[in-house]
Amino acid sequence: MAESIVHDTHSSAKGGHAGAPQKSFFGLLKRPGEGCHPVIDWLTTVDHKKIAIMYGAAALFFLVLGGVEALIIRWQLAGPEREMISARFYNQLFTMHGTTMIFLAVMPLGAAFFNYIMPLQIGARDVAFPRLNAFSLWVFLLGGVLLNLSWFFPGGAPPVGWFAYAPLTSSTYSPGIGTDFWVLSLQVLGISSLAAAFNFIATIINMRAPGLSMMRLPVFTWMTLITSFLIILAFPAITIALVQLMFDRNFGTFFFEAGEGGRPILWQHLFWIFGHPEVYILILPAMGIISEVLPVFARKPLFGYPIIVFSGAVIGVLGFAVWSHHMFTTGLGVIALSAFALLTMLIAIPTGVKIFNWIGTLWGGRIRFDTPMLFAIGFISMFMIGGFTGIMHASVPVDTQQHDTYFVVAHFHYVLIGGSIMALLAGIYYWFPKVSGKQLSERWGKISFWLVLAGFNLAFFPMHFLGMTGMPRRTHTYRADMGWTEWNVWSTVGAFILGLGMAIFVGQIIYTAWKGRRCKADPWDSRTLEWATTSPPQAYNFPRTPIVKTRDQVWADKYDSEEIHLEWGPEEEHGIHMPDRSWYPLFAGIGLFIFALGWVLFKEPVPFIPGFANFLHLQVVGFSLLMLSIYLWALEGPGGYHLHPDKSKDPYA
Amino acid sequence: MSQAHTEPLGKASEHVHPEEQTNTGIPNKKVAMWAFLASDCMFFGTLISTHLIYRKTTGYPDVTHIFDIELTTGSTFILLMSSLFMALAVSAMHKGNLNNARWSLGAVILFGSLFLGAQVYEFHHFVHDLGLTINGSIFGTTFYTLTGTHGIHVLFGIIWLSSWLIYSFFGTMKREHALDIEVAGLYWHFVDIVWIIIFPFVYLIEYV
Amino acid sequence: MSDSNAKFRTLTLLVLLAGSVLLTGCLGPWDQKQSALDPRGPLAQDQYNTFMVTLYVTGFLFVTVGGTLLYTVWRFRSRKTDDPNTIPKQSHGHPVIELGLVLASAAMLVVIAVPTIRGIVYMENMPKDLHDDAIVINVTGLQWWWEFEYPEEGIVTANEMYIPAGRAVHLNLRADDVIHSFWVPKLAGKKDLIPGQENEMWMKADEPGYFYGQCAEFCGDSHAYMLFRVIAVPEEEYRAWIEKYQEGPAIDIADPGAWEPDDAHEELIGKGIDAFRRHCVSCHRVGDQGGLTGPNLSHFGSRTTLAAGWLDNNPENLHRWLAEPERVKPGNLMYYGLQGMTGLKDIEISDEEIEAMVAFLLALE
Repeated sequence: MAESIVHDTHSSAKGGHAGAPQKSFFGLLKRPGEGCHPVIDWLTTVDHKKIAIMYGAAALFFLVLGGVEALIIRWQLAGPEREMISARFYNQLFTMHGTTMIFLAVMPLGAAFFNYIMPLQIGARDVAFPRLNAFSLWVFLLGGVLLNLSWFFPGGAPPVGWFAYAPLTSSTYSPGIGTDFWVLSLQVLGISSLAAAFNFIATIINMRAPGLSMMRLPVFTWMTLITSFLIILAFPAITIALVQLMFDRNFGTFFFEAGEGGRPILWQHLFWIFGHPEVYILILPAMGIISEVLPVFARKPLFGYPIIVFSGAVIGVLGFAVWSHHMFTTGLGVIALSAFALLTMLIAIPTGVKIFNWIGTLWGGRIRFDTPMLFAIGFISMFMIGGFTGIMHASVPVDTQQHDTYFVVAHFHYVLIGGSIMALLAGIYYWFPKVSGKQLSERWGKISFWLVLAGFNLAFFPMHFLGMTGMPRRTHTYRADMGWTEWNVWSTVGAFILGLGMAIFVGQIIYTAWKGRRCKADPWDSRTLEWATTSPPQAYNFPRTPIVKTRDQVWADKYDSEEIHLEWGPEEEHGIHMPDRSWYPLFAGIGLFIFALGWVLFKEPVPFIPGFANFLHLQVVGFSLLMLSIYLWALEGPGGYHLHPDKSKDPYA
Repeated sequence: MSQAHTEPLGKASEHVHPEEQTNTGIPNKKVAMWAFLASDCMFFGTLISTHLIYRKTTGYPDVTHIFDIELTTGSTFILLMSSLFMALAVSAMHKGNLNNARWSLGAVILFGSLFLGAQVYEFHHFVHDLGLTINGSIFGTTFYTLTGTHGIHVLFGIIWLSSWLIYSFFGTMKREHALDIEVAGLYWHFVDIVWIIIFPFVYLIEYV
Repeated sequence: MSDSNAKFRTLTLLVLLAGSVLLTGCLGPWDQKQSALDPRGPLAQDQYNTFMVTLYVTGFLFVTVGGTLLYTVWRFRSRKTDDPNTIPKQSHGHPVIELGLVLASAAMLVVIAVPTIRGIVYMENMPKDLHDDAIVINVTGLQWWWEFEYPEEGIVTANEMYIPAGRAVHLNLRADDVIHSFWVPKLAGKKDLIPGQENEMWMKADEPGYFYGQCAEFCGDSHAYMLFRVIAVPEEEYRAWIEKYQEGPAIDIADPGAWEPDDAHEELIGKGIDAFRRHCVSCHRVGDQGGLTGPNLSHFGSRTTLAAGWLDNNPENLHRWLAEPERVKPGNLMYYGLQGMTGLKDIEISDEEIEAMVAFLLALE
């Protein structure tokens, strides 16, 4: 660090910082300062950029893990009546594949972008609550660890599906500990998502740079905001459902026990009241990324900006009104079936509007086919196919034939791989220079794009045929005379090509992060505020507060008249105020992890400690650590120190 | 609570950091608390819906014989009163009257504890005298889960406010802490409002 | 740039080519055993027709919107001849175009919505003219087999359902353990069997036929092995089948002494009756003898499949099923026993006993 750092730390005896209690508590743990050991720096960081990088790295790891699980699944299905793996193992694999991809790969990849890009796009120094942000990261990471720990316990991972329909999850039908791991890790991950969402909402509503009105916000930031609202409103439903399930399993309550007045169908309602908004939690960030990438590579502003923003919000609202379309075969009755079918069709309109506007953005542009753009165009076309099959599902009579078949598997993989993953890849190729100051190779990027596109279509398009000719989902094998063999072989071949494409992509990321060459600060000739600083940005993001004059501010600076150019606020005479690092988010996360593990191991023998059955021991330990960390967190206060930026390092300012 | 006991709050710090000037003028902590409360609405919404959906299904006892509606009405009143004192505590903090704030906070904690004590008594009575357990009937299942979750919210509020009360004696209370008390107050009022919804939908509805 | 454009062009062509080869080469026939594209009853036909409507509408949209996208990308690609200093017009959108597209897509949806609503009403209510001669079957889904009860005829069977062709069937769907889903794609879309809930559906086979069905809701370890058959037969054959079932099993196991073997095979059957009475009757029923937790085996020999439609019913498969049930169908209760009761895992059954039981069971025509 070349900056001159002024350590006039407020948190110690010198005193005087707003809101911060002054005593360094017990002096047990000193807050690490500038120049601490890199490991300690990363463990205690509150910098949104470092947190984002850890989110991204962990998510990529889980993406690879979930991908390997998928390949084993495809390997088993490559022929009829194969016994490569047992039925139980297969069921565990598809459960873990789904849960991992949704909660540990796609959502955290989205969170990585929210964390890295959103504060830069609004010209902020960090998120509203930097330590809470670190807490979200650690809780997510430990939640992922908790879920995957299940593999190492007797009985192994949960074999109940990511949807975990009651009463299959009851202690009668799923006595194994795997289901408890699933329940508790989802609770833990929910806490992480909720904490992150509160943080992002406060950040976007409150911490925009002067002049950056809501209707000047980049669309990605808008989608971050909408997604955060979806999270805070949707996650409670599944959290409560999981609590109810946990009570049923551990305390003998009757929430989903049909014989005792409970109703298994309640689980489905609660799960999908969460589950359908969750679909939009996965796709809205992707739509935001695409809305950033297309204008840059078409060299035109987004077509119909207000309508894209508005349709995103409409999708978010309607997302809460269509959950029962996942339950068309459960016997809802004519009225409910018709209502939910029509509402579901309505969602096609704002979604279609987005696609029209993206094409409108391209129209009249000058389109460059760099890797991010290839993935973005791939996104539009693949997501469109997924959208069309979605319209088919909205039609109840059609859905009764397609529900729970490979047709649905094809549909949501078109939306989630062709949609979310393609867009996230576009985003990674687009923002990698921002994050690392290095550019990914175009040649390998394009190779990986074509492999992903071809492999993906070969893997998933035949599944439409499989579904329509009657192959149910979640079956570990099929009779040889069903006529499904050929398409399954194609699908498996495609899956491995897709895997190869993803492997090249991951390898490229690792190689470039390690050895890549430095590139310009704004290599794509971009448009939005995150490019108005160095790549990678300094710890403080912007040396002075940017004063925004227009949407697409950075583009205006390059190509528009002087009066709407970016201005910079006054230099802060005390230097830039930076939040202090803290140990407590990590410790609180560990406390929560132990607490959750305690509930998993409720009444179970604890491994490595013979003869020790856990009743509330682990819970007490974990909860105490959690509470202690929260108190010390509160007492240490936000702290902070002042930093004087080195102006020579910022070409833009 | 005479003027003589008033302690002055610490001075506001000399300079204001940019991150404390928000676009909306509402402090970040308050926005985040509002977002949390929106989320908590959904938590209780889910629990209350579950309870209502399971009313009058198999194994649903005649609950009017179980409830002690006088006791619950009384404890509802006590909880409402605690909200009044919460408002007084926030107001005192804003005026810089620490002593008043302490007394009011103490009253909130006391009333909250009384409410919680009534709930503990109610649960104890139901379980030991009436045999209504969480795993005995579907009513027990949803009733204890819903009201228990609310009770835990109250307990958490009491711990939170007690922590501030204790801190006010040992730490340095400043004018900025009025915001923290206000945020805690938002939470406390919310927990009260939830009870105002639970009381008719769980208790009174059984007498209709 | 031009280099990568050329590559882009070639690759697009290649993908299109490969795609069309795949489409023409692999498409059809669509009459697989469980194909929803080969409807054989009015309900499945209606669902197929609605599917075709959605396919045409979305296909049209795909061609127009996808074509526009392709054309746009092609026409506005950056070229080598472009002046690098000029930038495209920075236009921001056009409300009239937006509104037009919204209305057009809404109109498309109406085309789908109409047959959808009509189809829902049709699916949920059996047409009046089919009511009169409809038969009723109670379907119970269990891990991992199906019980079919004909309440009006007083018959209980498992995994193979006989129905009269040309008459509608009203199904009452129940589940005792976890959720299952009843699905015979060629006759009707699926409906779930949910514990504590009373679902119903109807279906009808126009012509006689042998239809494959399968559980379509994940229900645990052996979900993939939970198949069944619906056998639609002409009216007279259906009556004969009913009568045969009402008469009771070919062998009465109530009194094993009554079995008088004439040859070696019948002697084997006699041993089979004994073995069956020793090991199986606590769960399986033959005639009026035996328990109710397992499939009713009164006419097992006349079934075409065993182990819930997974294996064809022949002596080899039946032997394998009895010798190693856990391998054929992991997690099944015949092996593990129902909630603490004894299962085959707890007892030794000799090969001779299995041989004898195979002979006996197949004799239950």
